[in-house]
Amino acid sequence: MNPIIKDQVEAELQSFVGEEVYIHSEATSFVFVRNFKVKVTDAFIAGEGSYRVALQFDGHGWLRMEALTHVEREGNARLLLAGYDDKGRMNVALHLGKEPFPE
Amino acid sequence: MNEIHKAPSKKLLAVFAHPDDETFICGGTLAKYASEGVEITLVSATRGEMGRRMGNPPYINRETMPAVREKELRRACDSLGIRNLMFLDIRDKTVEFINEDGLTDTIAALINEVNPDVVLTFHEKLGGHPDHCAIGKVTTAAFKHTAHRGSLYFISYGNMMEQPERYGYTRQDVVKIDVHDHLEAKLAAFRDHRCQTEIDEWVWEEDRKALGRFGNYEYFLKGSPTPKSQKPGNLFQ
Repeated sequence: MNPIIKDQVEAELQSFVGEEVYIHSEATSFVFVRNFKVKVTDAFIAGEGSYRVALQFDGHGWLRMEALTHVEREGNARLLLAGYDDKGRMNVALHLGKEPFPE
Repeated sequence: MNEIHKAPSKKLLAVFAHPDDETFICGGTLAKYASEGVEITLVSATRGEMGRRMGNPPYINRETMPAVREKELRRACDSLGIRNLMFLDIRDKTVEFINEDGLTDTIAALINEVNPDVVLTFHEKLGGHPDHCAIGKVTTAAFKHTAHRGSLYFISYGNMMEQPERYGYTRQDVVKIDVHDHLEAKLAAFRDHRCQTEIDEWVWEEDRKALGRFGNYEYFLKGSPTPKSQKPGNLFQ
């Protein structure tokens, strides 16, 4: 995973707009959802150093996450965002995939 | 031709939830019995793929984690002397939501196949983590369903069973295993689980110092009646 560069991730998020996308989203100690499928209609990133990302989906939905710090782009099909603390523990994760993630 | 007749080796089946349970909780005991020739089969319900520790500094993400933790567990098995490793392919954090009867049948079939003298698992109430309690519950049920000849024990954390009264048990319910000759193997296995232990500085201090952090005993709670002839300080008859 690499530290998020905002402009880069912004562009990468845009490549999922208008697509059917599988989402893995978690606040590690509390909740996770895996492979819910949405049509992303808009995508945003905000913040400095630690970032907020929001997706609008299906014309009436929002998913917003904060504390994202790192990114891994895997080809065109997957974008993995995560937020780690200063000891490498995961706080949050947001993955977008054009195919389902392994169950 | 001379044939060498060896006594059939004793067998131990450990059914746990995550890679590292075997090392962190009872690594000394597993190393001890492996060194005495006991054939150990370890079942991990999950690959620990929802773990929070991603290396320090982080080099793992949620999608790479299962393969990393499987590899680390295989190394830890080598360090402890565990020869057989199986996964139930359940997603980490969901064990308690898997159909209980089906899972019980799976583990009962394993007990029948492995035919162990000793079965280790989590106590269904004292396991701590929901996955631990869930795998302990179905393994206990499976052990009872098979009416197995062997003995069932529940693993316990650290020294908590030094005072079993606090949990409603007596000293007769507890087996205390002396593991002090096997702490090097336990430490090696801790280090094999690198992404989970990197955050704990003491694990990576010089051996002598790190070994000092381990207790000399590991404690097990009896989950089935044991014969009076059972030697103290031993899980096997």
